[in-house]
Amino acid sequence: MGRGWRPLVVGAAVVVCTFALAQAEIFAPSAPAGSAVSGGDIYRGETVFQRECAACHGDGGRGGGVGPRLSGAGIDAATVTAAVQQGRGVMPAGLVSGREEADVVAYVVSISTP
Amino acid sequence: MLLGDVSETYTDLVTVVFSSTIAAKAWLASAALVLALVQITTAARIYRKLNFLPKRGRAIARVHRWSGRLAFLLTLPVFFHCVTILGFQTPDTRVVLHSLVGTFFYGVFAAKVLIVRDHSLPGWALPTAGLTLASTLAVLWLSSSLWYFTSVRFGF
Repeated sequence: MGRGWRPLVVGAAVVVCTFALAQAEIFAPSAPAGSAVSGGDIYRGETVFQRECAACHGDGGRGGGVGPRLSGAGIDAATVTAAVQQGRGVMPAGLVSGREEADVVAYVVSISTP
Repeated sequence: MLLGDVSETYTDLVTVVFSSTIAAKAWLASAALVLALVQITTAARIYRKLNFLPKRGRAIARVHRWSGRLAFLLTLPVFFHCVTILGFQTPDTRVVLHSLVGTFFYGVFAAKVLIVRDHSLPGWALPTAGLTLASTLAVLWLSSSLWYFTSVRFGF
């Protein structure tokens, strides 16, 4: 094999290593119980939360003046789901639904775990 | 330290500055893309395809090298979060495209770095590798940062 192939061979090896690393997800946090119950994805849920919830509950659910602090509050999936579906206080019902609801429930449960 | 704690520590560090890990990646990738544009512009000047920049060859080459190094450094936190925490995901077309192209990014980068140092290769090899790397970064930015800024929020 000529020396000219070296960049391609090394590049391909790096691609394979990256893929293996991505498959391993070595630093992925263990799935919180709530996400398993709801089947939601906490990372997509973070995005939904930023869009729909952070204005009242604050970035990362740390409290925003209008809505209560969710971070570290120890809320279970059923409670979050009920709040999302039925509303609570000034929070309107049905802000999100379907897959987005499952995702945001998983995310809120993950940040509320003390 | 447990492996899962690394993710929490990373999130805690990032959210000192940014609102979320996704926001951090969106802005870091945007900065890297701007530097990639500097790379393309200075490379075009080096190859005499552009004439509006000063002819100070050494300065242009220095800007080219350092913009590349800085762009690479900016991609490292993004790589760490995307690859080691999120992993290869396939929930929808955007994420599949992002995961696929992202998997190739550092492979293209490694090939480009080796091509820079190998003067026996044909003249078209380096600009081809450079443009491929910049295009890869552009696709990654379009499928993540642009999506975040337009679909989620434009802010830190």
